[in-house]
Amino acid sequence: MPNKNGSVYGLTILSPIIDDDKASPSHDLQIRDYLAHLSTREDSPFAQAPGTHLARLVVMDDVIYVGAPSCEEHLKSKYLIFESNCDGDLDTYLSGLASAIPDHLDAVWKHCVGYPGAANDQAFIDYMKACQLETTFYFAAVNDKTVSETLRALQTQAAVADFIATHQCVDASTLQREFIELVASLQAKPLPLPGSMGPQRDIKTGGRNE
Amino acid sequence: MSNINGKVYAMNAVTPMKPWKTWILRTIFFVLGHVKPLQTDLINLSFIEFARWVVVPRSSFPFLGNGQAKEDLRYDYLLFFSNFNGTWNQYIDAFSAVLSKGLNLIWRWSEKFPGSVPVTIFKEYIARVQFDTDYYYTAYPNATANDVKSAHIVQSSLDSLGLAAAACTPEQFAGAYLRFVLQVHAHLGQTGEAPIAG
Repeated sequence: MPNKNGSVYGLTILSPIIDDDKASPSHDLQIRDYLAHLSTREDSPFAQAPGTHLARLVVMDDVIYVGAPSCEEHLKSKYLIFESNCDGDLDTYLSGLASAIPDHLDAVWKHCVGYPGAANDQAFIDYMKACQLETTFYFAAVNDKTVSETLRALQTQAAVADFIATHQCVDASTLQREFIELVASLQAKPLPLPGSMGPQRDIKTGGRNE
Repeated sequence: MSNINGKVYAMNAVTPMKPWKTWILRTIFFVLGHVKPLQTDLINLSFIEFARWVVVPRSSFPFLGNGQAKEDLRYDYLLFFSNFNGTWNQYIDAFSAVLSKGLNLIWRWSEKFPGSVPVTIFKEYIARVQFDTDYYYTAYPNATANDVKSAHIVQSSLDSLGLAAAACTPEQFAGAYLRFVLQVHAHLGQTGEAPIAG
């Protein structure tokens, strides 16, 4: 199935945004404004809900005219694109979003046509599926690990590097004992929070020419 | 707006295609999806974490009623979403240099696609059809695709040695530990904040 690559699911959703001349600011602008103030770190909504590797939200204003001799045409609706690379099956993932971050979902999708709210789990899932597009080709560099497994592995990688650096020329019995302690400590250690693995930055950079 | 989060860049591109051409593209993707050796170049571009192409037929834009106007389009559209490490210029340069035939095979069905070589014209085209990301999240912002792959190799090796460690004599363990270090030494790169792109 093109939406899946291994155990990773590629979710693509286009939700039509409400076109209302009387709304000020317009609904698409209200979405953009809300998203601009949303954290992308460990307090991101997607960090609080389970199973998101990477996700993006994009307001697509229109299709792009590439120039003559192609025909110029325009969309009648603006669309909110939700692109997510997530664990497991779709229903479980969407249900996890609806139960973990209903307020954020409502704050964004209330500007979209026909959105039923996240309080009704099944209605939310049905709505998202009605807006879903089938992926034609999906590539995942690592396609058999969950978010938790990856966070744990990254934590392990750093600990192992430190261990090796500090255990050169150590006698065999000490090495064995401390290695066993390392394994036990890593198993007991809590996972790093999703989205948290870097220092806070006040300034976000962006732009296509960077 | 932020196309960048930590070490990952989010690219979105949309290009129009004549509807009869999308079937050719679907066939190409079908073959690409089922003949794994054809994906070798894509896999070797090891700075791509996730990427997808979505063909949207002109009549298949989501329509929910409730006052929404139904789309009336002449073209089908190809949506491309990529999550890659590094800068936009590095990405397009690498795509053009390594995957030019593959890129041409995918995008030549889109209107006005100039070809992926020479790269200057290709970049102009991508810049024209790209649109910016409003919100971008990654669970591991300071790890690249290669960091993630390496971390799983280290985890797997550690798990194996961890299972055997208690049953070994110290001398046996020392030998096993040396083999472990040889297995993982190339996969211990430090993760952290991305360098500032000039």
